[in-house]
Amino acid sequence: MTELYEKILSEKKIAYAVFSSQYFVEEHSRYFVKLMERPVTRGVTVLWDLFPELVGSEDQVEGVLQGKQRRFTLEKISKFTEQVKLRYYNLILLPFKKAGVNQILCIMNDTTFETSLEQRIQQQQHEIKLLESTLTSAIPPLSSGLVGDSPKIEIVRKFITKIADIKSTMILLEGETGTGKNLVARMIHNQSALAKSPFIEVNCASIPATLIESEIFGYERGAFTNATSSKHGLLEEADGGTFFLDEISELPVALQSKFLSFLENKTFRRLGSTLERTVSVRIIAATNHNLLQAVERGEFRQDLFFRLNVVSLRLPSLRELGTDIISIADHFIHIYAFDFKKKTLRLSEAAQQKLLSYHWPGNVRELRNVIERAVIFADGEEIEPDHIVLVEEPKIEALSPERPLLPDAATSLYEMEKEIIQRALKQAKGNQTRAARALGLTLDTLRYRIKKYRIHL
Amino acid sequence: MVNAVKGKSLQKALEISKKICMLGSFGVGKSSLVRRFVYDLFDERYLTTIGVQISHRSLLKRMSASSRNPVNLKLILWDLAHIDTMNDVIKTYFRGSHGAVVVYDITRPESFDRTAEFLLPFREINPSSPVIFAVNKCDLLSPNHANYGLFLEKTKLFNGGSCLFTSARTGERVEEAFHQLATLILEADGR
Ligand SMILES: Nc1nc2c(ncn2[C@@H]2O[C@H](COP(=O)(O)OP(=O)(O)O)[C@@H](O)[C@H]2O)c(=O)[nH]1
Ligand SMILES: [Mg+2]
Repeated sequence: MTELYEKILSEKKIAYAVFSSQYFVEEHSRYFVKLMERPVTRGVTVLWDLFPELVGSEDQVEGVLQGKQRRFTLEKISKFTEQVKLRYYNLILLPFKKAGVNQILCIMNDTTFETSLEQRIQQQQHEIKLLESTLTSAIPPLSSGLVGDSPKIEIVRKFITKIADIKSTMILLEGETGTGKNLVARMIHNQSALAKSPFIEVNCASIPATLIESEIFGYERGAFTNATSSKHGLLEEADGGTFFLDEISELPVALQSKFLSFLENKTFRRLGSTLERTVSVRIIAATNHNLLQAVERGEFRQDLFFRLNVVSLRLPSLRELGTDIISIADHFIHIYAFDFKKKTLRLSEAAQQKLLSYHWPGNVRELRNVIERAVIFADGEEIEPDHIVLVEEPKIEALSPERPLLPDAATSLYEMEKEIIQRALKQAKGNQTRAARALGLTLDTLRYRIKKYRIHL
Repeated sequence: MVNAVKGKSLQKALEISKKICMLGSFGVGKSSLVRRFVYDLFDERYLTTIGVQISHRSLLKRMSASSRNPVNLKLILWDLAHIDTMNDVIKTYFRGSHGAVVVYDITRPESFDRTAEFLLPFREINPSSPVIFAVNKCDLLSPNHANYGLFLEKTKLFNGGSCLFTSARTGERVEEAFHQLATLILEADGR
C-alpha cells in the first residue's frame, strides 16, 4: 500500500515525514529525502535541522504537536538545491496521533514548476520598475547649478540670483551654441517664485515656419484646413510661469510683429479667433546669433530687439573658462560614471591636457558628449587621452579591433553611439546580454541606452 | 531561545538559532546582501525573489560583552519578496523574527518612502526585536554625495540600531552589518 501512495504522492510532488514528540524523524517517504537532499535518519535527524525556517515558530510547532493548533503552514519557501537552483515549496505541519502518542505530520509540496512561472512574470515587471526607478533617480542634476569658479561663471551665477525674482523683466541670453542658455533659463525659472509653475520652451529653429504661429498662439477650429478642433498654444500653457524662446533669431519676420504686440499689450489672439486672451508669463529669449547684426541685415525687427534687450547676458564659451573645463568635465564624469555603474573614474593628467588644449566649438554640450563617450569606453580607473574623441580629430583610433567599426567622425557623437549600440546588438543577434558584454556595459546600462536612443529591437 | 532546550533535542547546548528578516523595497539589494553574507558572492543580474528565500550562516559570538563562552549563533535569514501591500501571509513570515535588516538603495531616495508600511507591522509583531538599516549600493555613489546624509537623517525617524552604508557588490560593511545585528539580538536575548 505504501508503495502505491508513495508513487501517487511523489507524482504530485508531495513528500511527507512524521516527527516524534521529541521532534525526531519517525518515518518519511522516499521523495522526502530527495527533496531534502541530505540523509534523513529515523530517531536521529531533527525537525529544526531540516527546516531552519521553523526557528522563531517554536510555539506554534509545539501547539501543533499537542493538537492545540490545527495546522501550521509556511507558503512559497525557497532554498538553493545542491545544483544551486531554487526549489520552491509549501510546508504544512499537522497534528498526528499514533497509538495515542502526539506526533507531527509534515507535508512538503514542491511547487517549483508553478512558482518559477510566477517568478518569471514578476521578474519582468520588477525589472521594468527597477529600471524606471533608477532612471528617475539618475537624472543628471542639471538644475543643481553651474559648475566652475572662474570669474566668468561667477558673473552668470550672480546674474541669475539678481534677476530671478524680477518677473516683469524680459531677459535675453546670448551665447554660442552649447553654452548652456537653456540651463540658465531653467535656473532663473527654478530660483524664482515661479519655480512650481510651468516652464515652457520653444525652439524657433526646430519648428517649421508655417507651424510656429499656431504652436505659440494656438488656433480655433476652422482656422486652417486641418484645424478640426481648437487648441491652445504654448503661451497659454506657460500661463503663470516662464516662456522660453530659444533661437529667437529664427522667428519668422511676419511673426515678430505679432510677438512684439503680445509683449507690449500682454494680449494675443489664437489663429482664427477674434477673442483677446491674456496670459501672465515671464519671457526669456535666447540666441546664438548676433541679433544686432540680424537687425542690420533686416532679418530681425529693430523694435523687437530693443524690447527684448532690456536685460541681457552673454554666456561665456567653454574655451574662455580656462581650468573650469576640468571641473565641468569632472561633473559630467560623476554623472555618467553613475549611469554606467563605474565608481572611481578620473581624468589622467594627459587627458586633462587634451581637454584644455581643444577649442570646443560645441561648448559644454560637446564636452558633455565627449565625456559620456569617454566614460563608456574607459576601462580602468582613469580616462586616458585615447578615450577622448574630439570631433575635429582626423582619425579615431581609440577602439580595439573587435569593437564595431565607427562611422566617420563627421556624424554627431549621439548618432555614433546609437550606431555602435545598434551594431553590437546586430552582431549579438539581438541578445542584449552579449551585446552589453561586447560593449563593456552592464545590461542595465545597455537597456538605458536602448531606451534613450529609442532603438527598435 | 536555545534550540536544545525548546526542541528538547540532543543538539549542542551552545548552538543558538535566530531568525532575521530582510525588509525593503524591490531591487534594493536584500537578496544580494544575503548572498554576499552567506556565500560571499555577487551577481549583477537581478533575480526577483518570490515568497521567502531561506538561507543561513553561523557566527561564533559571545553571549554578552562580559561573558567568556562563545556560542555558535546560527542566523536563519528570511529574504522576503518585495512587499506591495501588507497581508496575512507576510505577517506569518514576520512572526517570531528575532531581528531585521531594513535595506535601502542609496541611489534611489524613494526606496525609503514606504518604510512605515512594513516596519511598523514588523515591530508590532516583534516588539523587542532589534532592527538595523543597511543603505546599500554604496559602490555607486562617492562618499560626499548628498544621499548619505539624507538616509542618515531619515532612518533616524525610525530609531532603530545603526544605519550602515553597505555594498553587496564590494562586500563593504556587509559582515559588519550582520555582526552588529547579531550582537543586538544577543543583547536583547539577555534581557
Ligand atoms: N552596484 C551595486 N548593485 C547592487 C548592489 N546590491 C544589489 N545590486 C544590484 O541590484 C539589483 C537588485 O538586487 P537584489 O539583491 O535582487 O534586490 P532585492 O530585490 O532587494 O532582493 C541586482 O541587479 C543587483 O545586482 C550593490 O551593493 N551595488
Ligand atoms: Mg530579492
